[in-house]
Amino acid sequence: MMLKLGVFELTDCGGCALNILFLYERLFDLLEFYEIKEFHMASSFREHDTLDVAIVTGSVSTQRDLNLLHYARNHSNYLIALGTCATHGDVQASVEGKIRDKLERVYGTRANPMKALDSTPIVQHVAVDYALPGCPYDKDELYQVLMNLAKGVEPPTKDYPVCVECKLNEYECVLVKRGIPCLGPITLGGCNAACIKCHLGCIGCRGPLPKEANPASEFEILKELGYDEEYIRRKFKTFARGELRW
Amino acid sequence: MVSIEIEAFTRVEGNGGAEIIIENGEVKDVRVKIFEGPRFFELLTLGRHYWDVPDLEARICAICYLSHSVASVLGIERALGVEVPEEIMLLRELGLLGELIESHALHLYLLVAPDLFGYADAIRMASRHGEVVKEGLTIKAFGNYIREVIGGREIHGINVKPGGFGRYPTIEELERMERQSEALLKLARRAVGIFADQEYLGAKAEHYVAVNGYLYGDELIADDGEHFDYFQHIEEKTLPYSFAKQSRYKGEVFMVGALPRVMLKHEALTPMAKHLYEEYKEKLSQGYASLNNLAQAIELVYALERTKEIAQNLLDRGIKGENVPVEPREGEGIGYVEAPRGVLLHHYRIDEKGNIAYSNIITPTAFNHAMMELSLYEEAKKRYGSSDEVTFLQKLEETVRAFDPCISCSVHVVRL
Repeated sequence: MMLKLGVFELTDCGGCALNILFLYERLFDLLEFYEIKEFHMASSFREHDTLDVAIVTGSVSTQRDLNLLHYARNHSNYLIALGTCATHGDVQASVEGKIRDKLERVYGTRANPMKALDSTPIVQHVAVDYALPGCPYDKDELYQVLMNLAKGVEPPTKDYPVCVECKLNEYECVLVKRGIPCLGPITLGGCNAACIKCHLGCIGCRGPLPKEANPASEFEILKELGYDEEYIRRKFKTFARGELRW
Repeated sequence: MVSIEIEAFTRVEGNGGAEIIIENGEVKDVRVKIFEGPRFFELLTLGRHYWDVPDLEARICAICYLSHSVASVLGIERALGVEVPEEIMLLRELGLLGELIESHALHLYLLVAPDLFGYADAIRMASRHGEVVKEGLTIKAFGNYIREVIGGREIHGINVKPGGFGRYPTIEELERMERQSEALLKLARRAVGIFADQEYLGAKAEHYVAVNGYLYGDELIADDGEHFDYFQHIEEKTLPYSFAKQSRYKGEVFMVGALPRVMLKHEALTPMAKHLYEEYKEKLSQGYASLNNLAQAIELVYALERTKEIAQNLLDRGIKGENVPVEPREGEGIGYVEAPRGVLLHHYRIDEKGNIAYSNIITPTAFNHAMMELSLYEEAKKRYGSSDEVTFLQKLEETVRAFDPCISCSVHVVRL
């Protein structure tokens, strides 16, 4: 029996849907188990049906997004929040202020005919069965999750910081050795420390490490390195405004 | 008055649709609606330190993240009075070429080709035309390889920085680019033949606008010979039915993208691409929006040839890998880049501490918004009453698709 899959895009950069296409040949491996019922970036084909798996990317930023999210939730058995917009809100949710103020500053009018909302992650609106963060998420991880689901196995979740993968790759610690602000110690791993490979600090795109992270200690380290508090705060809140409260 | 809705464009990046307004049995008006939510990038970077800004701007769009990082870096460097050596500019160009290869391959093979072969998508098309889809994926993967090496990751890498790079490519990586670009040229050459046969769709633009260099530069040019900064001749207005703004060049509808680039800058094309331009010159100068697809195919050849040239050049002279020191100071600068789908600019004012005090971003899809509407209008007018509804809507979608619209990008075209 083929599983029915739908991909729904709320407001985002398109990267999380695009990253699915970047699976190349392995996308065809997935299609041995899944039939795609909705994926508007890739296909004109659309069939309204109940879905076994719904993938939702992006954050809720308009009334239309919210309606689409509820549609995806109500028509699916298993819903994956894919990417940091969906799981933590990402950059667009980190812009502070009320929606009408923001509209006024950007569009020059407080009118809101298109029903824009304050940007929020989908996990704030519906129950999700699996959350896979990352801006973008690691495509191999998504492949594994979908393969696990196809085989009836509940996919595991990662629970270690970026530092673990950085050490495994034997990269030089940019925070300790070079004093570069790096959010690796408090950010969920799974990216294979891609930015530290470039000798740059982690910017926290996979969101904070649940439970064990120690942002207070990271905050102190950065302060000792001479970064001002406002700078550190904004850096911390860039991808997950709601989670790290300062 | 009745209206026909295209609820949501498919096989495009982002969320948008159109409304065709019919009055007395005639097409009266067309509105392109962008309902991708606003993302307020100009507010996001306000007050942030310049060093962190390109990483944030990259998140505007996944398909052309490197164009955004490079435009951002160029704007910042100009504001801070930083000049970088040729090596760094060549590497940035290499990154932009990789992005063009990735993006054009995605658009042509996966999004447009299904229209030409009569399928709903590339996956269904693959059952009969597997070789075409596979060739497209191979080219696209190569573009992504370059993005990964230069940009730091396939999507949203942070390697492009003011003053240089976090990490410079190795000799092996450059050798691979040189080898593969040569090998893929044959495939790209074949693609040109496929897209040359597409029927004419949409309108002819009143003007073409592009950046003065082929992929980056310091001012804009237009088909009337004008050299200018965007605020001199381009006017924007807000629309009640869309999150995107509309632009006019000297009050007229204009187009940016592959077709304007090839037409305005064919002198700069590489040998095989130039040869192809000459071959299809007459066709291209018909000017219909759908010819953007053919122009993209020619650019795919250009990008592969140019990638080889740059890789060879860098291998011959060796990579120094030295960044230019950047000091914060007060200043203003604009970075102009040709993203795969056209002119992209990032305009900043920076305060004495190095924080962003003002930012304005205009993306290609925003520039093309009015031209997209005009094209839909002309196509709808031509077909209304003579095509059945399925064909009618299908052709309108194909018309929009020719612009390779990137809707995520278009929703934060803003002046603060």
